[in-house]
Amino acid sequence: MRYIPSTKEQQREMLKEIGVSSFEELLKNIPEKVKLKRKLNIPPALSELELEEKIVKIAQKNSNFYEMKPLLGAGAYRHFIPEAQKSLLQREEFWTCYTPYQPELSQGTLQSMFEFQSYISRLTKMDIVIPSIFDGASAAGEAALMSLRLTHKNKIIVSTLIHPHYRETIRTYLAPHHIEIIELPYYDGLVQYDQLEQLLDEDTAAVLIQSPNFFGGIEDLTAISELAHQKKALLIDIIVESMSMGILKSPGDLGVDIVAGSAQSFGMDLNFGGPYNAFLATKKQFVRQIPGRIAGETKDKEGKRAFVMTFRAREQDIRREKATSNMCTNHNLNVIASNIYLSLMGTEGIYQYSLLNAKMAHYLESQLLKTENFEKILNYPYFNEFLIKYKGNIEDLNQILLKSHFLPPLSVQSFYPGNHFEQTVLFAVTEIFNRDELNRIVDILS
Amino acid sequence: MMSNKIIEELYYSKNDEWIKVENDIGTIGITDYAQDQLGDIVYVEEIKKGTNLNKGDVISTVESVKAVSDVYSPISGEIIEVNQAIIEDPSIINKDPFGKGWFAKIKMDQPEELDELMSASEYSEYRKE
Amino acid sequence: MKLIFEKSIPGRDAYSLPTDLFQDIKIEDYLSEKHLDKDKKQLTEVSEVDVIRHFTKLSKFNYGVDDGLYPLGSCTMKYNPRINEKMATLSQFVYAHPLSSAEMIQGSLEIMYQLNLLLCEITAMNQYTMAPASGAHGELTGNLIMRQYFIDHGEKRTKMLIPDSAHGTNPASAAMAGFEVIEIKSNENGTVDLNSLKNAMDEQTVGLMLTNPNTVGLYDEGIEDIEKIVHKKGGLLYYDGANLNASLGIIRPGDAGFDVVHLNLHKTFSTPHGGGGPGAGVIGVKDRLIPYLPTPIVDFDSNEKKYFLKDTGKKSIGMVRSFWGNFSVLVKTFTWILSLGPENLYQCSRTSIINANYILAKLKKYYKPAYDQYCGHECTLTGREYKKYGIKTLNIAKRLMDYGIHPPTIYFPHFEPYAEETIMIEPPESDSKEVLDEFINIMIKISDEAKTNPEVLLSAPHVTPIGKTDDVLAVKKPILTYDDELNSKDQ
Repeated sequence: MRYIPSTKEQQREMLKEIGVSSFEELLKNIPEKVKLKRKLNIPPALSELELEEKIVKIAQKNSNFYEMKPLLGAGAYRHFIPEAQKSLLQREEFWTCYTPYQPELSQGTLQSMFEFQSYISRLTKMDIVIPSIFDGASAAGEAALMSLRLTHKNKIIVSTLIHPHYRETIRTYLAPHHIEIIELPYYDGLVQYDQLEQLLDEDTAAVLIQSPNFFGGIEDLTAISELAHQKKALLIDIIVESMSMGILKSPGDLGVDIVAGSAQSFGMDLNFGGPYNAFLATKKQFVRQIPGRIAGETKDKEGKRAFVMTFRAREQDIRREKATSNMCTNHNLNVIASNIYLSLMGTEGIYQYSLLNAKMAHYLESQLLKTENFEKILNYPYFNEFLIKYKGNIEDLNQILLKSHFLPPLSVQSFYPGNHFEQTVLFAVTEIFNRDELNRIVDILS
Repeated sequence: MMSNKIIEELYYSKNDEWIKVENDIGTIGITDYAQDQLGDIVYVEEIKKGTNLNKGDVISTVESVKAVSDVYSPISGEIIEVNQAIIEDPSIINKDPFGKGWFAKIKMDQPEELDELMSASEYSEYRKE
Repeated sequence: MKLIFEKSIPGRDAYSLPTDLFQDIKIEDYLSEKHLDKDKKQLTEVSEVDVIRHFTKLSKFNYGVDDGLYPLGSCTMKYNPRINEKMATLSQFVYAHPLSSAEMIQGSLEIMYQLNLLLCEITAMNQYTMAPASGAHGELTGNLIMRQYFIDHGEKRTKMLIPDSAHGTNPASAAMAGFEVIEIKSNENGTVDLNSLKNAMDEQTVGLMLTNPNTVGLYDEGIEDIEKIVHKKGGLLYYDGANLNASLGIIRPGDAGFDVVHLNLHKTFSTPHGGGGPGAGVIGVKDRLIPYLPTPIVDFDSNEKKYFLKDTGKKSIGMVRSFWGNFSVLVKTFTWILSLGPENLYQCSRTSIINANYILAKLKKYYKPAYDQYCGHECTLTGREYKKYGIKTLNIAKRLMDYGIHPPTIYFPHFEPYAEETIMIEPPESDSKEVLDEFINIMIKISDEAKTNPEVLLSAPHVTPIGKTDDVLAVKKPILTYDDELNSKDQ
């Protein structure tokens, strides 16, 4: 088989060198009763040609997604990724290699991690960055656990405008630790500030807020952080649409203590939900409690600048059950993907694209509201996602859009059941659209 | 392997801590063997003055690049003094584990516990390569 | 090599903008200065050419599986077939939004459903969740499933048994699931001490996490007894599948009595390591644990003849990540399994076991093995006997780099009495005899150098882009971002 180079003759030689007459002698420690005595019942090997045909046929059972620009975000955003990034990611040295435990053979990976950490530090205005947790949801879970370690308290306040999958994941991560999870209700598209004041007390370890939130709304993190800090609770900012950082104020300027951010918008395709990547960003003094791998700068024995994984004593291979997290393999290749993406976008690119996202979303909303079929039910500041009520049947809306090859917006009721959201959808607009398309969307929906 | 230093008049624990007794005050640290095993110590966890300890409680945690080790108190009592110097510069422990690298002074409330510890020669036997 | 930040020149760019920038929309009409940053975030200003050259150069500082033998024990650094990559990048998969309605994603759902069937057959389990993103993530998921099972059955079990040879993620995952970790010592043969296990296993214990073959590469001959001991007290048996490459078509964890299994798709199943991921740590369970699986799983409605995402129900542990799984990794796994078929899957294990034993046989008189027995798909040698020359395993590993080979895993595993100064070598089936012979010859040469010229090991590596790094300095004077570096220069 083309992936298994050793020939039968070579294997015979090797068995001879080992000193056994048959391969089965090497398996003598396996009890006979548990050995598999038949062939695995899976399909026989397909040739590469047959395999490609088979899988392409399966793929064709999906819609032709490339041609369908999504008006749907809700945690997975289609942004434009320059071809240079995709080309660079083809380099085998980036993707066939292992975790950079041997820094002398992994400066490519380590320097890339360091550069990404530096970019995110500047975007978030936070001191230190862990470049890779699997996704925003697990990063939020890890951030919540981190806040428990830092404060030794047992209550967590969770905004109900955090992405439902993220909220579910936070619950799952906290379940074994006997933590009281208090839900913070929303009103008019943002969290209820006065409710927060009532819910906060001396036992609150952290307040978790997503901003921009699930409805796209931009929360008042400064005010929330002041409240939280009064009760010595940490403010954890969850960012699901990282493109927002291009024009919005940085969490570090708003009193945020820990950022759990999905980096999917920085150079990762939708890929049916994964793999994405997330970062954690926080203050210098929390470095020993943050989970995940981090790259640091040092010198080699000749005094040359070099990068290594550092603060390793937090990790599972050294601390075992006392580690800050069990994390080992993360999503490092996507760190490189984002690093390349951010290098290509640069200061101006991120700003301009972020601005374009915001402008285009607001353009679409204003045009939709000019028709008779849409109504604005909530009024809150948003980045590139907004709620809007459709006066007709959501099924019709979907069909109309699908027919014109647009992926319809999210029906909010699927995640927020209740009559008040019966005909409400969550539109997302990114730079992949153009004005003609947005006008056509308005046209077909009016 | 080079032989590690042992000081005669100290008591030693199985976890490589030493204690120097003066009246009812015990000064605690880690042995030369312990610091050698750890390698360059880069971090020492804060020790709180006034804490009441039982024998075997964790006083602090020391961290090197490749390992982490808890430092246990070999006796019960109250921490009456803490060596801030090692918190600020953990390398002192590597350089002078029996002297300037001390961790804390404890006012012993059960001096009989010293009988459970090893003498210098017993510890030397224990840690012989 | 310069950082991308050091190549930044104001006025340079690598991006392109559409002509219509929606100048008619003033964002200030919608967002106040409360939200808008008055300054741009300072990233870099480089050209596309700069980016291409920078990352091309950076890549050349790495060593990948495509460069040669990568004998990292416990990591299974096997060849990453290119057809896997092509299938994962089919546009219908790449541009699929995870929240699309079921009728639009029948292809993606079919991949997940069919993969589940394949993995169930390969491992003798009843249902897989594709959610976990790594082995450790799978371990956490598995631990949470076991926890939920006992809560649901009204049993208070708070302890998890873990062998001293286990990978660090095992106790870390058990701790994250709220369990007290009880360490089970290994016996003289390097496998689980059955008496210790028997003494520790009780009705307050969730069960045992086991890797088989274990981390020194040995199949546990007591596997039947282990299963009896754990199940007799109502416990569950967890299989850490990191070493599955020794078992394909030979022994299936489900047949050996395991209740929960995690697989590392980026190890056994050839999906790329990516410099540390993304991989996937899918979890397989027996029927009685299906209700607790994270939600959702993919099911098939035989009436409608359609695949759909099924909520696993009220007893589910919830979700461990957003959306459904690391889909592109699943496509690669699916492609690989179908490329091999049953005979070749078996050959993967057969060949890697022969490879590892061959290296053990040829090198054991130069590097004392931790356990001198036939091994599975990886062998554990040690550098113990070089202490008298002032040489440690670390020095041997660094010297290997001078010969153009990535070192094996060192210092793991580490447990008494023999697994110390370990060199764990895993030569997967994609490495041929000539490659192994070259490695063996180099290791013999280094053995000689250790005795006659230890200085060359102590000062290694010499030919790599950087020399040995000062890891102590990295912690003592942390520089974790470019701004840290700039600030440190100012002082």
